[in-house]
Amino acid sequence: MSPILAWTPFLDPIPIWSNAVWPWLLLPLAIAVALVYKSVKCRTMRQVPREAAVIAVWIVLGMVIAAVVLAGVVRAMEW
Amino acid sequence: MSVPLVAIAGWVLPGAGYWLIGQRARALTVGISVIVLFVAGLLIGGVRLIEVPGYGDHGLPLVMVSADRFVKADPTLPGASGPWMLTSHPLDEIRNKPWYIAQILTGPINLIASWGSVTASKVNAAGTTAGFRSHARTNELGVLYTAVAGMLNLLAIIDAASRAGQPEADA
Repeated sequence: MSPILAWTPFLDPIPIWSNAVWPWLLLPLAIAVALVYKSVKCRTMRQVPREAAVIAVWIVLGMVIAAVVLAGVVRAMEW
Repeated sequence: MSVPLVAIAGWVLPGAGYWLIGQRARALTVGISVIVLFVAGLLIGGVRLIEVPGYGDHGLPLVMVSADRFVKADPTLPGASGPWMLTSHPLDEIRNKPWYIAQILTGPINLIASWGSVTASKVNAAGTTAGFRSHARTNELGVLYTAVAGMLNLLAIIDAASRAGQPEADA
């Protein structure tokens, strides 16, 4: 049986160990943080969707840049 | 609207503080985001990622056997009887599980998850547990999701209480 079919939600950890998959879990986290932060910060809720989208993109970009810089530092130290 | 009531409502149900002061859209956005984030964390890491203070990996209460040793309450262990860790040394026990402080800010949903974690940790007659404990990245991500949900809810509680103290016309 494949790991995903054997998975029991809430009782078993989700079977994602591939390095190609788990980094995508940053996206829902960034979106939720952006939504709550902008809901608290904005004066009216009409501003929230646009401002939350912008800040979510910035969070993801910041994480990607941090990852690239850290990868560069590790490579430089290994070299 | 009373500030403490708004703050307590925000803890009991994420977003409810905003709802009480009439800011329905804000209430729904914050409440749904926090609850979805918390539930997603449980889905990623499994319910056992909630490390409940006072309870061990086996789902049994941790008891204090000697002044400097934390020993699980396993009836087969000789001398494993003493005061419950959470009542005898609450700060030590909570310090051992610091993410619980952030997770509990999500409200009673975390108490339900804590009960689920303790129940899923108990060893059954077949010698297995109902839930598996996550490790490495799945555990880290699950803990991150649930703790961030709690901290975002704290942010929302403080903001809703502040708005209740200084009512605004807009919603």
